[in-house]
Amino acid sequence: MRKGFLGKFSSLSIVATSYLFLYLPILILIIFSFNTKHFPAPWDQFTFKWYKELFSSSALWVSFFNSLFVASISTSLSLLMGIALIFFRAQGGRIQKTLPLFYGNLIIPETMLAISLLSYFTLFKIELGMPTLIVAHTVLGLGFVIPILYTRYLQLDHRLTEASEVLGASPLQTFYKITLPLLRPTLLATGLLIFILSFDDFILSYFCAGTKIQTLSLYLLSMLRSGISPVVNALSTILLFFSALFVMFFFSPKVRSRIL
Amino acid sequence: MYALFHKLQRKTRDESPFAIGSPALIWQIVFFYLPLLLMMVSSIFILGEEGDIQGLSFENFAPLFSNAHLSIIFSSIILALSTALFSLLIAYPLAHFITFKGGRYKTLMLCFLIVPFWTNLLLHVYAWFFVLEREGFLNTLLMHFGLIQEPIRFLNSLFAVMLMMTYYYLPFMVLPIFSSLERFDRRLLEASTDLGASWRTTFRKVMLPLTLPAVRAGFFLVFIPSFGEFIIPELMGGDKRYFVGNVVSQYVLGDETGGMGAAFMVLSCIALVITVMFIYLGFKKVSKMLLKGMK
Repeated sequence: MRKGFLGKFSSLSIVATSYLFLYLPILILIIFSFNTKHFPAPWDQFTFKWYKELFSSSALWVSFFNSLFVASISTSLSLLMGIALIFFRAQGGRIQKTLPLFYGNLIIPETMLAISLLSYFTLFKIELGMPTLIVAHTVLGLGFVIPILYTRYLQLDHRLTEASEVLGASPLQTFYKITLPLLRPTLLATGLLIFILSFDDFILSYFCAGTKIQTLSLYLLSMLRSGISPVVNALSTILLFFSALFVMFFFSPKVRSRIL
Repeated sequence: MYALFHKLQRKTRDESPFAIGSPALIWQIVFFYLPLLLMMVSSIFILGEEGDIQGLSFENFAPLFSNAHLSIIFSSIILALSTALFSLLIAYPLAHFITFKGGRYKTLMLCFLIVPFWTNLLLHVYAWFFVLEREGFLNTLLMHFGLIQEPIRFLNSLFAVMLMMTYYYLPFMVLPIFSSLERFDRRLLEASTDLGASWRTTFRKVMLPLTLPAVRAGFFLVFIPSFGEFIIPELMGGDKRYFVGNVVSQYVLGDETGGMGAAFMVLSCIALVITVMFIYLGFKKVSKMLLKGMK
């Protein structure tokens, strides 16, 4: 009895410590975004002035929309290419042998890939900017999309596609009306995942963006290097709020039952 | 949409069946394998101004077999290994608790675990500054309770680097273990307990062997990216701590040291692959050990 209580208590304390570990810095960060004075000073007064300052900064918005643009384009590109590959497979194409090609992304650290891409672009005298950034992020996305989609495709109930073919649907109709709807949850989930990964990506952006384009990560880095400022706290609070919203939306029972 | 698909399909059938599946493959080859190949090539070939090959030589590798360079690779491996180990130590109990004791808060707890994972890394680095600063939360707390007299310098230390790495890579470890525990057949646990096994034996002989593949997956998901990590050591570790990522990027971005950077990258990737193989064998051995004596 006593041991059970102790065991329960110890596991609960491990969990509590873990969550404290995860959320303590974030909480402090949020609190100080509402403080009138700069950080080492103790709590003074509640204010929104850093948020106002933040929203009037145009560099922030430019980098925000750059990140949004890059993430959307590269997500759609890698999803489209993934679907095309699955379609090819559904038509009887053989991709088993080429599939291991996509597992390379898991073995090579992102830093190495980013540096290689940088020297690749430099060698061919391709100017760094939005296109190179999109290319790099699409590579990142493909490494997730193709293995996940293919695994899910193999798990599908193939009696459904057979039934559709037996009943006279063309392979295209079968794909469009049976396979794709069955894969839709996976497509949505992976799409959201790689969108977030691309939006928050730092390493690839750092090497492949060049000097002209700034993504949100690079903007954050430049602000970090210039020292602690409550404006960054305000920005971080907003970003955290949105990612929490995203996660809650994704895991809410309603959405979960509908798309997963 | 339909018409487009039809056209594509006819093309697929008649001309080259490969056409429609190929964009992903071509993209992967052109923008993943060719750049890596280029790095390998430029590490052993001497390239001229125009990118033309002037000769074959291993001179780029020569300066790398020095103590300074080899110890950078070694310390990166140690850093990555300890990041993976620390996050495993936190992740397993955490995933276990969420799965078995989470009850109706399971989803909520999982959500709270994923929120940091879906937020920018730099934001977390920034947040930790507030805790670890000279006048930050941790020092204030410790001084308040009289545990220390002088503020401790937490930032720019190996401690800060390790802390941040474990913090950031934790979800990569928790999620595979969580999903493996979710799929775990609980009747096995009941069977084991009914047959008189203690909690410890059940864990060692039933639960751990069955979730070991997930632990291995999580271990690699943490180990491999943290081997190349360069921004956390740079921001949290000060200027004096070098890991593979920092050094390679410095060499490659430098004017004259491009070839050496490529060589160093190739060398560290080889070291990475060898270490990964050893870890793989280690996991195999552990699973054999766990299953020993079972009939």
